[in-house]
Order: sequence, then structure tokens, then C-alpha cells
Amino acid sequence: MSRLIGKPKNQIDLSVLSKYARFYLSENPFPAHPYVNQESTDKRTNGFVYEMEIRKNEYDRIKDNFLQAPQVDANHPRLGYIVDTSYVGRGNGKSAFLLNLQQNINRAYCIDISNEINKCFAVYVSPRPSGQTKSFYNVVDLIFQAIIRTNVIDDTLAILRYDALSRISPEALSRIEDEDEDSIVSKLSTEEWFKDNSVDYADVAHQIKENESIKKLDPDFPLNIETAWIGSRIATKNDFHEYYERLRPQERLNFLFTEMIYFFTAAGFNGAYVLVDDFERIPNFQTARQKTDFATELRSALFDGFTLNAITGFFNIILVLHAGVHRLISEAWAESGMGNRSPIELTTEAYHVIPFEKLTQGHALLLLKKYLSEYRTVPEYSDSLIPFTERAIYRIGELSEYNAARMLKMAHDLLERISVIAEQEMIDEAFVEASRDKLALDSNRAIPEIGEVASEDLIKKAQAGEW
Amino acid sequence: MGNQASPAPRSTIGSVRRFYFLEYFYVLLKSIERYPDTEQAFELFKILKRKHRLGESKYKTKLETEELSPHQINRYRYTFSEVIEESVEYGLACLVDQSTLCITDVGINLLKQYEEGDITGFNRFLFHRMEHRYKAFRFLLELFYAKNSKIPGLLIFPNYSPRQLKYQRSSFTTTIDVISYSHSLIDAISDDILKYLGVRWDLHEHNENIISRLKESHLLPDRDDEYFFPKSYNAIIKRFRDYWQAYFLKEIYGYEFSLSSFERWLFRGKQIGILYATDFYPSFSGRIVYPTAIVIDHTTSPDFELVYNEYDDGRKLYIHTPRWEVIQDKFVDALVESYFDLRRSNHSYFINLLSLREIVCYKLKIPEFMFQSFLDKAYKLNLTGHLNIKISLEVDKLPEETSAIYLTREPVMIDGKHRNIIAIDVDREGK
Repeated sequence: MSRLIGKPKNQIDLSVLSKYARFYLSENPFPAHPYVNQESTDKRTNGFVYEMEIRKNEYDRIKDNFLQAPQVDANHPRLGYIVDTSYVGRGNGKSAFLLNLQQNINRAYCIDISNEINKCFAVYVSPRPSGQTKSFYNVVDLIFQAIIRTNVIDDTLAILRYDALSRISPEALSRIEDEDEDSIVSKLSTEEWFKDNSVDYADVAHQIKENESIKKLDPDFPLNIETAWIGSRIATKNDFHEYYERLRPQERLNFLFTEMIYFFTAAGFNGAYVLVDDFERIPNFQTARQKTDFATELRSALFDGFTLNAITGFFNIILVLHAGVHRLISEAWAESGMGNRSPIELTTEAYHVIPFEKLTQGHALLLLKKYLSEYRTVPEYSDSLIPFTERAIYRIGELSEYNAARMLKMAHDLLERISVIAEQEMIDEAFVEASRDKLALDSNRAIPEIGEVASEDLIKKAQAGEW
Repeated sequence: MGNQASPAPRSTIGSVRRFYFLEYFYVLLKSIERYPDTEQAFELFKILKRKHRLGESKYKTKLETEELSPHQINRYRYTFSEVIEESVEYGLACLVDQSTLCITDVGINLLKQYEEGDITGFNRFLFHRMEHRYKAFRFLLELFYAKNSKIPGLLIFPNYSPRQLKYQRSSFTTTIDVISYSHSLIDAISDDILKYLGVRWDLHEHNENIISRLKESHLLPDRDDEYFFPKSYNAIIKRFRDYWQAYFLKEIYGYEFSLSSFERWLFRGKQIGILYATDFYPSFSGRIVYPTAIVIDHTTSPDFELVYNEYDDGRKLYIHTPRWEVIQDKFVDALVESYFDLRRSNHSYFINLLSLREIVCYKLKIPEFMFQSFLDKAYKLNLTGHLNIKISLEVDKLPEETSAIYLTREPVMIDGKHRNIIAIDVDREGK
């Protein structure tokens, strides 16, 4: 076979690239598998394409009752619930909402949102499926891992160093003051920069130790490697990770809920929001005893235990509850006394309970429009629904019971379908109707028919007993 | 076995008294025990009937409190007299004179049995009297096993609404729309007959029949393009359903008595654990019916319980009653397998427990009440960590269920609470 003239049997079809061009789209804007995955690089599925307007009510409630509630007031709400009242199952946009909330908070650590009342960071936590997250210690691990995933430790270290430099070497600082914040953080994270600017990092490290909060830290705390007698060096996020891994569960709890709070407050943080998605994954697999233990440990960590967190309420936890979960845990909540601290019932005066509503027609339009606008090739059409008609979108909404994931999936499939039918110009109501059979709508699809189900043959069974 | 001549005195099968719930016997006996006077007994009967939620809306969450209409009172009185007649027939009650009733010793014992919570014994006793008198259950069991050679014992009554056949209500307005629906309907029904019964039936002639009857009764205009009266929609659709149901019963299965008598036997059989009927099997549109009992010469299999052995030809009726110790693994397997079948189409941890029950009951050929007791046992094992799966049961209903469906299905009661949804996880670490 010649490597020069040999050809593969199949060539890449380059015309595919222009499949959506007649609708002024660069590609299919809708996800084929509409499940949020924050690790994904595809903005269709990582929660990046998001229309906050759709969840304005929910966002405003969180803003008013959590983000703008002064953290220094010990009576601020420490535990909240986002309760899905829509009953449309998974894919109602809860995960996307949380990831965006996290981004919004971390953009300026809540200083902007709270009108400079709070400086808080947010972490997104999703319990592991199939009962792998069962105890409160597992949740502590998840929270810490989530902190590691964000930049907050790097940022905290950078803030401490920045602050120290401003005292001991303002001239070195003046060289980077005007750079953007990411670049400052990355420079302050390496010893090289300090060497290049003739600053002895040991001085910086000792200056940091002057901070009242830092003084309270345990001698083993990872930051103290910077001032160690032997082998001192600049601390990184990795040191925190490695240190944490070596701790026993009870020590981890103390590390997160006491030591880390001293560390963060040294850098001016006064709180953090832990957004726990899919909370049902935890109680789903717990026995009644485990549920009560969990609730008791949660109460102790948040309200009345021996940790610094119980005193200050630094970590605010917001649990996202699927429609059925509430009753799953209410008994344990009552037994552990959590029911009094932070009742789970959805009442109008319960400001710490945020109902997550079912979407409506208007939301369906906003949602699809947002995705379309992200992939428009012609800016003039960025506000248009082409090739969908408004009525078609209403129909899509009805057929998917206004479930966000199902609407997106259906929009994806419809666009795939129309892209190969040259004579079809628009996705209108009739086209949606005509495509229904082809769309994955029929909820009975995966359920075996009676004829295929292995069922006991009683006559044979009775006769078999005779032999 | 279906070829054998049934010894049932057939003339009486169709004349079963007009009520479904066996609890009516309890309600009546309780009323007579208290008040021998017919009128006073009827007053208590009315109260108890409501208290036990007997009637078409048994599972309504709230009891209606409004006054009974004269029409309702007449219906109640009719039921009352039907239950009296049947109770007298079974020697549970007697008529002293026109306005006085009495309860017999047998009746008193039966009452006691119910009040002590032995519902199975109560139902079995009544079954025995019914079978002695009518031989209806044997007749039905033999009919069921004879009529489906493809899937033993299964009878189907397929039904599809216009919506299921992709007709939209808004554009379903003229005679021709109804005719077009009727053709889609017989296509769907014929497919089911072939699929589940393994035979071909030509339904076209009968379809013509329905259409002309609809026209005769002025539900449908004569001309194809004329609009029918929108309020007749439900009546028209109901005509189709009733017609095909009666057709299946009579023409395909050869049950020569009325549809309503069939339904009454079915419902009574379901309470005893002899027959199973459901309109909600998850992958079937319409009703399916199958036996959870057999009529046979003899069996020593421990999974069957002999409940009637007084037939002239010496055959016996056994109810399928597998013991928990024996069926436990099989039950859990069926539960998990069916759960994942349903979950695949649902994208949710929680799925409808009642749908799950339909599949598991069919797989194991057990009655609903047995499913409930097995699930209760499995659930408690799971709570104590003695089961290799994790079960979580909840009260909430799922969104796609309208309240109408919700009310007509027997709820599942586990650990003292009505449960509607279930989530299962298979513990991979094992226990």
C-alpha cells in the first residue's frame, strides 16, 4: 500500500460543517446529552451557557437571604434548602443553576453582590452516586476536595503575601500593582518572583505570621512550612491537599471547620457557601440510624459543636433537595434537633427555604434563545429564534413537561432532523408534531412488553412439584 | 385443560350480585348486628360504606361530606338489598320479616374474624361460599388458561385513546376524524392480538358496526365532514372502549355472560388472590388479566395452597402462595430488575411504586396484597442492613400521574405508611 496514493474508504464529510449554516448557526447549539458536567470543556454541557433570567426568582431569594445577610452577625442563616417543587425529575436545571451561582459568587468573592458586606467564596459539591457518600465525614472530604478544585487557597495565599509585601516591601509590590489579578496571583505563588525582585521570602513568611488569625493556627498547619526551622519553602495548594490526605476523619473535620477558617479569615474572608447538589444521594442509601447520625453531626458542625465554625457560622451550607427527599429526612431532622435549628418545611416565612419552580412557556423561549445566540454566525440574528417558531417552542415545552434537559435534547434532535431536510425551512408546530415518533419521547420505550417478560407459569410450577 | 367440560352451573355465573367489594359483607353484618330493623340498619350501612370507602372512589384522600342525593340513596339502597340477598344465600343473615333482619351464628363468626384482622380468612370463607354456589372462579380459571396458548393465562383488553394514537384533540372534530381514529384503533388492537395471543383477527366488519351505531344514536353526524358535538367526545370514545372490551370477552374469549358480571368476578377474585387485573401495566395500553391460582387434580408443591376441593370431578383449586423464605431472593431479583427497567425511561432515582408492583406481580404471578407483604419484609431487612440492596420508599406521587389515575389504584402500605415512589440501589460492596 502506498502512503502517497492510498486512500481510506471513508473521507471526512466537509459539507457537514455547513449543515447548520442556513439557519445562521455555526453548529448545533443544543447538547445531545443534556447533563451538566462541570469538568466538561463543552460549554453546552458544563453549565457555561446559562440564562440567569430564567431563575431570577430563585437567585434573588438566595441573594437577599444569604449572600447579603451580614456574615458577622452570628444569627445569619447557616443552613438553607433549595427545594425542587416542580416534580419533573432530573434535568430541571438545578445543577446548572448552582454552578452559575458558584461562578457569580467567586467572580469577586461576593463583595460586589453583598455591597461589600461579605467576602465569601462558594464551592459546588455533588455527593457521589450509589451510596458512596454516606457519613458526614464523607461530606467533609467532598467539601475540602471542592475547595481544592477552586482557586480559593491560591488566592488566599496570594492575599496574605500581598498584604505582607505592602508592609515590608511596597516598592516590589508597585511593580505588579497594575497587572490583572490572575497574573498577580500566579506571580506571588512562586519563589522565583520574590528572588527576581530582591525580596527574601522568609521575611514575607514571618510578616504573614504576624497576622492574629495565623498565630492561632496549629504548628502542623501547611502554611507553617514557610517558617519551618529546616527546609522552609513557599507553601502551595498542593501542601494543603497532601496534609489533608494524611489526617484521620475526626482531624479532617477539625481541620476544615476550625483551622481553615483561621486561614481564610486572615485573608479577609468572612464566610463561604457550600452548595450541595443532589443531596438525595446521601439519605437514599442511609439507614434510619445513619440519617439521624448524619443530621446530628451536621447540626454540631454548623450550630453547636466545638469547632470554630459552630461559633462563627463561617460555612453556610445550601442543600438541594429533590421533590421527594424532604420526607426522607424530616424524621431524622426532627430527632437530631435540626428541625428546630433549620426546619425543612416549605412555608412562606421560611426565608432559608428556596422553592425551585417549574419552568413556563416564557422560560422555554429564553432557554432555547440563549443557546441559539451562543452559536449564531450572523450577529443580527442573535436575538432570533430561527429556525424555531415560537409556537414550536411552546409545543416542545409541553411535550417535555417543561423539563430543561428534555427541552434541550428535543431541540437538539429537531435541529439534527431539519438539517438534513433541505426543503424544510422552519421548525414549526407541525414539524414538531410530525417528528414526535422519531424523538425519544415515548416513556414506555425501555420497558419490556408483557410478552418479553419472564413470568411464572403456575401450571408448570404446580406440575413440577409432582415429579 | 380448557377443553374439559366445566361442571359450573353456567346460568348463575352471570347473575352474580351487583357489588365488587367483599368488605360489603362486613359492613352489612355489622349493621344488622347492631340494628335488626332494616331502616336503621340501612342508616348504619350508609355510614360504614363511606367509612370503609366502598364504591367507585375508594382511594379518595378526603371523604365527601356533602349530603347524599336521592339518586345516590337509591343506589346505596340497591347495593344494600343485593348484599342482603347474597348474605342470606350464604347463611350469614336471615330475614325475620319484611322489616327485620337477623345475623346467624356463621355471620357472627365471620364478623369476628374480620374484626380480629384476619382479612385473608374472611375473604377465603366468602370465596368458599361463592364457589360452592356459582363455581365461577373455576370457570374463569379454566377459560383463562384455555384461551391464550401463547402466554399461559393472560387475557388482554387493549384500548387506545385518540391521544395515544397521535390525534390531537383540537383537530379531532368531524366524523371523518373519528373514522380515521377507528381505523388506527383496530390496527393497534390487531397488532396486540397477534403479539399477545398469537392469532390474527379481522376487526373491520365490527368497526363498521360501531360507526353505524354511533350514527344511529346521533353521536356522530352522517356526513363525513360534519362536526360532531364537542361534548360528545367522551361519550364517543367510551363507546369504542366498551364495544371492544365486550367484543374481546364474548368473541375472542367466549365468555357468554355480561361484561359487568365479568368485572364483578374479576374484582372479587382479585381481593381473594385468585385473579389479577390491571389497567396500568406500564408497557401495555388497556387492561390485562391473569390468574394467580390454578385448577388441577393435585399438586404437592409447597408454593400452592388448597382452597377448594369440593368439585364433583375431584379437581381442586389452589392459590399461588409462595412463602417468603423460599421466594425472597426471587422477589428481590424481580424487584431490582423491574426497577431498572422502569428507571431507564425515567431519569430519576424515584420511580412509581405502583408501576413497579404491576411488573413484579406479573413476573411472580402473585396478588397485590402479597407484593405488599413481601416488600414490607424486604424493606425491613434493608433497614437492618440484611439485604444486599438499598430501598428507599416515599409518599409523593410523580408528576405525570393525574389525580384520576391515582385514586383508582390500590395504594401500597409499608411500615404503616402509604408509599407511592421507590428508589433502589444495588450495594456493590455487598454485605
